[in-house]
Amino acid sequence: MSDDTTRPPKPRPVVQPWALPFWEAARAHRLVLQTCHDCEKPIHYPRIACPHCGGDDLGWQESAGRGTIYSFTVVQSNAPSAFIGDMPYVVAVIRLAEGVQMLSNIVDCDPAQLQCDQPVEVVFETLDEQFTLPKFRPAKG
Amino acid sequence: MDCKRGGSAIVGVGEVPTGRFPDKGAITFALEASRLAIRDAGIDKDEIDFVIPTTAVFSFQFSNELTTCRLVEELGLKNVIANATVFSGGSSSTNALRIASALIETGRARTILFVHCDKLGTGVSAQGGIDLFSTAGISMEWEVPYGQHYSTVAALATQRYKYETGTTDEQLSAVCVSNRKWAQLNPNAFFRKPLTIEEVMASKMLSTPLRAKHSNMLFDGGAAFVVTSAGRARELTSRPAYVLGEGGVVTHFAYHQEPDLTRFGWAQAGRQAFSEAGIGPADIDVAEIYDSYPIYQLIAFEEIGLAGRGEAGRLHLEGQTAPGGRIPTTTDGGMLSKGHIGAGGSVSLLVEAARQVMGRAGPRQVPDCRFAVETAVGGTYMDAQVTILGNEIP
Repeated sequence: MSDDTTRPPKPRPVVQPWALPFWEAARAHRLVLQTCHDCEKPIHYPRIACPHCGGDDLGWQESAGRGTIYSFTVVQSNAPSAFIGDMPYVVAVIRLAEGVQMLSNIVDCDPAQLQCDQPVEVVFETLDEQFTLPKFRPAKG
Repeated sequence: MDCKRGGSAIVGVGEVPTGRFPDKGAITFALEASRLAIRDAGIDKDEIDFVIPTTAVFSFQFSNELTTCRLVEELGLKNVIANATVFSGGSSSTNALRIASALIETGRARTILFVHCDKLGTGVSAQGGIDLFSTAGISMEWEVPYGQHYSTVAALATQRYKYETGTTDEQLSAVCVSNRKWAQLNPNAFFRKPLTIEEVMASKMLSTPLRAKHSNMLFDGGAAFVVTSAGRARELTSRPAYVLGEGGVVTHFAYHQEPDLTRFGWAQAGRQAFSEAGIGPADIDVAEIYDSYPIYQLIAFEEIGLAGRGEAGRLHLEGQTAPGGRIPTTTDGGMLSKGHIGAGGSVSLLVEAARQVMGRAGPRQVPDCRFAVETAVGGTYMDAQVTILGNEIP
C-alpha cells in the first residue's frame, strides 16, 4: 500500500517483566507456556503468580504449537488505523492442545474456508527487531 | 449475600436526547439530565447528599472535573457529603446503583444522584472512535498487537454462537429491527426511521459475520437518576422503582481468557438477581438487555432465563420482543438504535427500566408493568450484571 507511511506503526506488545521469556522464545520461533510447579497447570497469558492455586514457583514448558480455532473473524472494514493496510485479516481465539486459549491471527489461509474447531499450527511472524508474534495457519496433515 | 430486597428505590430519572451536538459541551448534558432527574423525583435539589458521576470516555480532563466535584458546584448542591466517581465501562450503571443502594441501606447516604454524560459523537473523530475502542479494555500485550477491536470482539462471539446454536444472520438482524421499532417510539433515540432485515443484511461487512448495521454507533448524550430509601420513595410516589435484586459475575479482562464466548456469566448473575428479588424470569414484564451488538442481546436474553438456548433469535424474528410482543425488550431502542454514549449504553437501559416500572415511559409504556430486568456489561464483555426493579416488593 502506497499510503502506509501515513499510518501509525503496528502496536508492539507492552510487556510485563514476568512475560519476557515468552517473547524471547517467540523471537527464537518457539512457543512456550508458563507452568505452575505447585499445581502443574499450564498458564497463558503469563502471570506474576499462578491464577489457579496462587503459587509462585513458576517455570516454562514448550508448547507443541497445535490447537483448534475456537472462533474467528475476517476483518474487512473499520479496522484500527495501524491495521487498515492488512485487511482482510483474520483474528481468532485459539485453543491450544495444552488447554489454554490465546488470541492470534490466522495466516497462510483462504479466509473463506476457515471453520470453528479447525486444527491449526503455530507459525512466527517478525514484527520488528525485538518482537516476533506467534500466529497460526491451518494444520498441514 | 444477605441483601435487603427493595430497601432502596429509583424515584426520578432524567435524560437528554442522544445525537450529535458539536456546539454543546458535555457538561450541558450532565446538568440538564441532573435537573430533569431531580424534578422527576419531586425533591428539592438540596435533599441530595451524595453524588456519583461516572467517567466520560471522550475526555480525561472533563472526567477529572466530574471526579473533582464540578457537578456539585454547578448545580449548587449544598448538602453533599461526598462526590465519588464509579466507573466500570458499560456496567457503570449497575455498579453505581449497587453502591448507592448499599450506602442508603446502611444509612451512609439518604438521597443519591447518579449522572452520566459523554461526547463520543462529536468529541472524537470516526476513526478516532475506532482507535479508542481498539485499546480501551483490550490487553496491550496479548490482543492489541493482533488487531483486536470491538467489531472483532463481537464477531468472535457471534461466529461461535452461530456455530453452536444454528442461529441465522436473519435472526441476528431481527434484533436490530426489534430495537428500531422501539426507538421509533422514543424521542431521545437517534435512529428513528423504519429498518428492515434486508437493509441490515445488505449493509457493509465489518468483521465476518458482523455487518455495519449490526454495530452500535457513537453519539453524544447523558442521563441521570435519583436513588433514595424505600421509606422516602413511598412518600414521593405510589410507584417507585424498588431495587429488588442484583446479580453479577466478573469473568475476564482479556477477551480470549473467557472460557465460553457463547454464554459468559449471565446464568449465574441472573440466578442471583432473581433469587434476591424473589421472582422468576416468567414474572418479568419488560427486559432491558444490553445490546451493543445483537449477539449480546441474544446471549443475555437466553442465559438469564427469558428463552431456551438458541431460541432468542427466533423469538426476535417472530416479533415477540417488539412493541406488542410477549416480552418487550430493550424498549428505549438500545445502543443499536438509540445510540451508544459510552458508559451510557446501560445507563439508558437502567433509566428506561425505571421509567417502565414507574409507569412513565410514554408511548413505549408496557401495560401493567410491575417487574423489569436490566443487564449491563463493561469492557470486552468482562462482567455480567443483572438488576431487577419493580414497583412492588414481592
